[in-house]
Amino acid sequence: MSFEHINFPVFGQVDYFGKQSQQQLQPQQQYTPSHGGKKNTLDPIVTGTSIIAIKYDKGVVMGSDMLLSYGSLARFNSIQRMTKFGGNTIIGASGEYSDFQSITTTLNELVTDDHCMDDGSRLSPEEIWNYLARILYNQRNKGNPLWNTCVVIGYQGGKSFLGKVDLVGTCFKEDIVTCGYGSHIALPLLRKARDDNPNMNLEQAKKLIEDCLRVLFYRDARSSKKIQIAVAGEQGIDISGPIELETYNWNSGEAAVKNFSQV
Amino acid sequence: METLKLSALPEQSKQQPINHGRFEAYVDNGGTVMAVAGKDYCVIAGDTRMSDGGYGIQTRHYTKVFQLTNKCVLATSGMQADTIALQKRLKLMLETYQKEHGKPMSTPAIAQFLSNTLYYKRFFPYYTFNLVAGVDEKGEGWIWTYDAVGSHERVKYSSQGSGNQLVIPLLDNQVAKRNQQIIQGNGDVSCDQVVSFVKDAITSAGERDIYTGDFADIVVVDKDGVRWEKFELKLD
Amino acid sequence: MSSVGSGYDLYVSTYSPDGKLFQVEYANKAVENSGTLVAIKTKDGVVIGIEKLVPSKMLCHGSNRRIHHIDTHIGVGVSGFLADARQLITRARSEAKQYRQVYGQPIPIKVLSQRIASYNHVHTLYGSVRPFGCSIAISGIDQYGPQLYMIEPSGSCIGYFGSSLGKGKQAAKNELEKVKFSEITTREAIKEVARIIYSVHDEVKDKDFELELGWISNETNGVHQLVPKDIFDEAEAYAKQALEEANM
Repeated sequence: MSFEHINFPVFGQVDYFGKQSQQQLQPQQQYTPSHGGKKNTLDPIVTGTSIIAIKYDKGVVMGSDMLLSYGSLARFNSIQRMTKFGGNTIIGASGEYSDFQSITTTLNELVTDDHCMDDGSRLSPEEIWNYLARILYNQRNKGNPLWNTCVVIGYQGGKSFLGKVDLVGTCFKEDIVTCGYGSHIALPLLRKARDDNPNMNLEQAKKLIEDCLRVLFYRDARSSKKIQIAVAGEQGIDISGPIELETYNWNSGEAAVKNFSQV
Repeated sequence: METLKLSALPEQSKQQPINHGRFEAYVDNGGTVMAVAGKDYCVIAGDTRMSDGGYGIQTRHYTKVFQLTNKCVLATSGMQADTIALQKRLKLMLETYQKEHGKPMSTPAIAQFLSNTLYYKRFFPYYTFNLVAGVDEKGEGWIWTYDAVGSHERVKYSSQGSGNQLVIPLLDNQVAKRNQQIIQGNGDVSCDQVVSFVKDAITSAGERDIYTGDFADIVVVDKDGVRWEKFELKLD
Repeated sequence: MSSVGSGYDLYVSTYSPDGKLFQVEYANKAVENSGTLVAIKTKDGVVIGIEKLVPSKMLCHGSNRRIHHIDTHIGVGVSGFLADARQLITRARSEAKQYRQVYGQPIPIKVLSQRIASYNHVHTLYGSVRPFGCSIAISGIDQYGPQLYMIEPSGSCIGYFGSSLGKGKQAAKNELEKVKFSEITTREAIKEVARIIYSVHDEVKDKDFELELGWISNETNGVHQLVPKDIFDEAEAYAKQALEEANM
């Protein structure tokens, strides 16, 4: 069955007035499926913005906000974009959220199979990262990508792990990983902070990530100030509860009036 | 008279729905690789910068040179995801060959095999630009240079990747002695001389090509095996 | 033709005149020749213990496992042919996985048990197949609390507080009836299971055996696992001591 004639509305793209409304019945070149009636992801719909992560002396810290956007609409404002897999790994994702949920399902099956095996070995963060990279690369080969950039952090056997995978399958390990606007805004800040202090501790790293997310909130229009911080270190892996970033006080209207009356 | 427009939106933006960017299956992560073959050795150099397809640097530590056997390495620039898939595939096939034949695949055989592998994906190519470098059964150093779909040529020196246009003229002049009026000696150069020259070449490429930089892997292949060296490039 | 089945045992799909399926009964015989399995359900968890008979001294400790995980919250114990059981385990794992895919939550133990029972049952219906020569005990914790089900070759699926299978089934049942299921903790049940298995072990017929214990409870955070070494050793020591006292 073909859905070619249906134009799924996206906020900001809906034509409320013009003649396009009538034209929409015609199939659009834009959405031509690659084969048969099957439709592939050609652009993301509900999206999350940057994920940023950095290694500290004994582990890794990752941070993300909790906003999901629908085009330019801030659609959901309290969604966790980082997920635990097994006891050693956390993955954070930017991009299409439904694709990330699909990845979550797949990886959880992998982890459950590993549990059932019960052979005394557990999937390491690096193995999960590698598996994820194969999933994303194979999907891109089918022309049906999972529209995400994933950041993988973990800690196992005294070693910390930080890696990244994107929608075409590019994958690498690094001490600092960012995606989306984070690569423009946070990455230089993180690199500088790490050059200045190569052996930062957990508290410093957390503070740094928080500061970067604050800067991102100020400049990235698709971000929010409700954030979460994930840590993978000696004490295991943990994702914090929602944190409200302290920002400039925008309730300045009232304050301004008071100031003026005092003058 | 012009008809009254009822739309608040400009006509053009109405015709084209806003696009978040359609899916691009290919990304060029940049990077330069080069290789020079001597009488009984090969020198291979590749930078370790991986760009994001634009001005951004994703990592400064991505090694583009991949050891295939004791006598052969593969240097690849282009799209990193394809590079990894290609490397995994070759590694698997070389292991299978070793098990079936009881010996590693020879360097010329690897060279032909890589061409077949690339051509097999002729209509959905690996976006990779390869050099196979190593010593053959007689111990002589050779380079095989490829395009993305498997065309290849056996040469004594070559370069691939984002900085190849900068490196090749230098190699023409210094290795093949092109356009030199006075040529001293028989043209044989020592391995150490070539290593030193290759470092200059990749440094120069890094100077002009924004996709090349950070560090370089300098690899020497000869009858004794494969030796690696790290070399610093500029981070800008 | 011997007089045992009088020709009514050639196909699973054939009843005997007095209403029995001989093939199914033979499958039960395979279970009765196997090492004893004892399972106890408590307020907050389930314990499965197995007397794993060791046919050779050269066998590695921990090989030929008879307790397996199905999902994080489910484990099974096996009595009878291991090879046949593996078929059921694989099936159970894919049922659990499929349920998660479709409903996005862990499969309830009862649902899984009934599906496996149905799988057993269809193997009693056609001439082209034979029933599985094994029974399994399915243990787990779901939204309804701890659960214990026994699945037999006939396709029956029955929930229990405590049950047993295999050689020492009857003797074990007598012991199990003394257990106060609504009072003991899962930790205590581990000792009890170990004790029963040691007490029903027939030293004359079967020389060597290895005790295998699996449990799931609040203490394991609702995850099925083999009993960890310290608790295992404690339970085994307790069982051995109880056996000595009984023999004195």
